[in-house]
Amino acid sequence: MSSSDSESRMSGSEQQVFEIVRSKVLEVLEDLDPLQVTPERSLLELGANSLDRVEVAMLAMEELELRIAPSELAGVANLRELSRVLAQHLDAR
Amino acid sequence: MNAPTPVVVTGVGTVNALAGDAPAFAKALRDGRCGIGLAAPFGETQGQWVAAPLAGFDWREAIGRHEGSLPECVTRARKVLRNNTPSARLSAAAAFEAVRQARLVQDGFAPERVGVVVAGSNLHQQLAWDGARRREAGGTVDPRYGLNFLDSGQVGSLGEIFGLRGLGYSVGAASASGQMALFQAWHWLRSGVLDACLVVGASMDLSPLELEGFALLGALGGDGYAERPEQACRPFDRDHRGFIWGQGSGALVLERQDLAAARGVPSLGEIRSAAIAMDGNHLPDSSLDGEVRAMRDALAAAGLGAADIDYVNAHGTSTPLGDRTECAALRAVLGERAAAVWVNSTKSLIGHCLSAAGVIEAIACLLQLNGGFLHPNLNLLAPIDSELRFVGRQAVAGTFSTALSNGFGFGGFNGSLVLGRGQD
Repeated sequence: MSSSDSESRMSGSEQQVFEIVRSKVLEVLEDLDPLQVTPERSLLELGANSLDRVEVAMLAMEELELRIAPSELAGVANLRELSRVLAQHLDAR
Repeated sequence: MNAPTPVVVTGVGTVNALAGDAPAFAKALRDGRCGIGLAAPFGETQGQWVAAPLAGFDWREAIGRHEGSLPECVTRARKVLRNNTPSARLSAAAAFEAVRQARLVQDGFAPERVGVVVAGSNLHQQLAWDGARRREAGGTVDPRYGLNFLDSGQVGSLGEIFGLRGLGYSVGAASASGQMALFQAWHWLRSGVLDACLVVGASMDLSPLELEGFALLGALGGDGYAERPEQACRPFDRDHRGFIWGQGSGALVLERQDLAAARGVPSLGEIRSAAIAMDGNHLPDSSLDGEVRAMRDALAAAGLGAADIDYVNAHGTSTPLGDRTECAALRAVLGERAAAVWVNSTKSLIGHCLSAAGVIEAIACLLQLNGGFLHPNLNLLAPIDSELRFVGRQAVAGTFSTALSNGFGFGGFNGSLVLGRGQD
């Protein structure tokens, strides 16, 4: 099993969080084709500017009733990783 | 040395309590309509205020009107404004109308030669109020706050929407901000630093804090007028008791006359001159000396005298001291002409638009000069001055060529503009 296979699998809670993240991406980037919003894509690739990126994260956190320091989200490379960090905080709660 | 090139206006736009664009504003002025009523601008829990709020402004609809002529600007505006403040959206709506009329973008005007000056400071007080309450309630800071609280952010927003890349900044001079912004832009064009400039009078999104602050200073009117709010704003009337807050924005495109003529864009009027005089005073008190100097300096800069002025758009806020001081200043400046020069105050129709007032009122001047009318003074039943020639309850028709437009701000700002009629 390659490492990319293990990375591409999402747990149930990650999948649920991703759906929320996805809805926030489409809310912020309203002209986006919904089919474009896949776990492998980064917000940058989807055309989000620096403000959009913060807004997506904040909206998702608001919906999940989470508060995570911006520094923890700074390194996420794509929507999957963003969903994973959010899901980890949900599980830890 | 060559004389500086004249500066003309090639585009105007406004959104205010009476109108969603300049042609509708011209009609409302002529009809003498009143946009003042009883409103709950901060939600019902924060009480009702006598004010002139916007009625049903929808920024997407306002911007969408320009899809056909400025498609790329509209696309950028949708993106820029989605994350933006109510004041910035209002500024953009007025700017779209002005920029479209001036054909700056359509004619491919060199973007590095076009500036943006936003009139106003402390534009987003309501954001701070909302944010503090949200935080107090355990919520997070709005991710947009760090950008949106900056007044100067509107310069960037307008620059991005219209692709303007000359100099740009926001200027604060309280209620004289509009005069200050036009003063600045006029000088940049005359000195050759810019060829054209978008000047936007931005709406102040106040919170209950600022209105209560103004009330404590004794400057805010409306008390006792809940049953008849349309009568609360009465500039130069014996029963004047304070200013009434109005929401609104205005935009003008200024351009060198030779370039406008070469492009074949009609002149909507000329900025003949602009002058600022300071009082050296941090208080809200108005000053006869400062107001007289501003008007005299403006006339001198235009090479005109009182005999050349047909009409004065007064600052006229409906505050007792302010109105009295301006009457005395007008008598001093106009001298024997006081009986001949018409005076009105646009604030009796749309309230006091604060940082946007000077820009909106400059537009009101041009609309009146070009339309051959002067709008009524509402609620002026018993004038405090018997020498000045106030417009009555009906509009006056006639040929008017040259106007003086005043704006005076807390902190000793006195601004005066001389405006000339556009091409027939």
